[in-house]
Amino acid sequence: MKVGIIGIGIAGFRTTTPELSWKELTYEAAAKAYQDAGVDPRKDVKAFVTCAEDYWEGFGIFDEFTPDQIGGALRPVCTVCGDGIHGLATGFMQIQTGLVDVVAVEAHSKISDLLTYEGVVQHALDPIWNKPLRGHPFYVAGLEMNAFLRASGNTEKHCAAVVEKNRNNALRNGIAAYGANVDLNDILTSEKAFDPLKKLEISGLADGAVVLVLASDVAAKKLKRKPVWIKGVGWANDSPSLETREWERAKYAELAAQMAYRIAKVKNPAREIDFAEVDDRFSYKELQHLESLGLAKKGQAGKMTANGDTALDGKFPVNASGGSLGCGDVVEASGLHRVAEVALQLRGDAGKRQLDGVKVGIAQSWRGIPTTSGAVAIMGVNQ
Amino acid sequence: MTFIEKTTDHRKLRRWEGNIEADYIYTSGLAGERFFTELRKNGRILATHCPRCDLTYLPPRMYCERCLAELRDWKEVPATGRVEAFTVARLDEEGHEAPEPQVWAFIKFPGIHGGFVHIVAAPEEKVKRGLEVRPRLKPQPLRTGEITDIEAFEPAEH
Repeated sequence: MKVGIIGIGIAGFRTTTPELSWKELTYEAAAKAYQDAGVDPRKDVKAFVTCAEDYWEGFGIFDEFTPDQIGGALRPVCTVCGDGIHGLATGFMQIQTGLVDVVAVEAHSKISDLLTYEGVVQHALDPIWNKPLRGHPFYVAGLEMNAFLRASGNTEKHCAAVVEKNRNNALRNGIAAYGANVDLNDILTSEKAFDPLKKLEISGLADGAVVLVLASDVAAKKLKRKPVWIKGVGWANDSPSLETREWERAKYAELAAQMAYRIAKVKNPAREIDFAEVDDRFSYKELQHLESLGLAKKGQAGKMTANGDTALDGKFPVNASGGSLGCGDVVEASGLHRVAEVALQLRGDAGKRQLDGVKVGIAQSWRGIPTTSGAVAIMGVNQ
Repeated sequence: MTFIEKTTDHRKLRRWEGNIEADYIYTSGLAGERFFTELRKNGRILATHCPRCDLTYLPPRMYCERCLAELRDWKEVPATGRVEAFTVARLDEEGHEAPEPQVWAFIKFPGIHGGFVHIVAAPEEKVKRGLEVRPRLKPQPLRTGEITDIEAFEPAEH
């Protein structure tokens, strides 16, 4: 059973969205996706997968509130406590079982409604072993950056180059909230936050919503849509424990990629994949994730960036969308946004950031501090 | 589908404030109970050992992460550890510039799988990977059997 993306809808991203409730923001993305797919969600969409996390939203068992704005009331709805790519994988699997043939996947962020963001992230630390020590939880990012740079040989300058690339790329992306004409020096001289991590190396938060419509090959044909094919998916967790996790490498990304490559039958990722959208919530994560996905050799991601290999016109463009640094951190919607960007590129719908002649793309997500979980999806134009 | 009309007067936009009130007890469990009791009473730090994987877990736990065996062997952790990774936190819990920067480190101990993520009480220039550190405990009468019984880690040469 082949599964493809036949509809893409994005609302936002903006730093605040005071005129819309989170339900309305999501409804906007859904309306766009269904129009793009040419479907009536109340007739053609057979199941709905939504991604949500209570504390981002401010109400308990929040996932119960997700069906109506995407057309899921009185329909099979499955909620995933995970990132958008976990949701995509769930929809992919539902269609592969043959139980349903068209599935909508949703993820959103109304993070501007959360007044105590740091507190929520702090609350995600182990309550017995870590949280009582207090402190801004991004010390975890500082520690990881320290360990990763030392072990890989990538430098602070390489990390700053990621910010420069992504925020400038974002200027070409209509949905981006943080497009900016920053240069390397702006980043390197910016305020230190969690050494060696600087303030400008941390993605700003943004509101937004993403809805994708997935279909089997048969359903896509009936709907007269040319899908972007999902060739493989993977997901994995490292130990959540700060003390026994791998600090130098993103093992969750390595394992998720291995699974996706196996399903997609990709043997040499750097050669068979044309471009990537990876998590870059913190500058160094883009480099770490590229190496974890086997898209850069160990210790080489920084050099690739400095050489311009990952630029829009480079050999292997990474985060042409602007990534989280350029578009904004939309919490659990980040991964689904990356998938949407890959799909738009493969369809030739990426406007001013369109890459030439791309056929296979990879999207990767990470759930943010202090998690060690992430997912990968590989998409292509050919079945 | 979607909105026919939208508002452009942001003075008309309303919002309400609220919060999630939630209180919990966090049960430390079998491993935590033994660890914190030993820390409070005798100032000793314990870990649990998996004989199959030859891994000694800190913080201790009752099951092995690798082979899922139940862990019943307890070992004492060496007094001195080393800084494996460190960072200087310059923002406070609200994301504003902190009055005093704070050094955090991941501290490993010889023969131990895991370690502590904790504060290092030393000037930032002094903290490097490999720095030998020791836990500074609260005086016994002030210890409550929580992770905060370890106030911070200090350079071992102290």
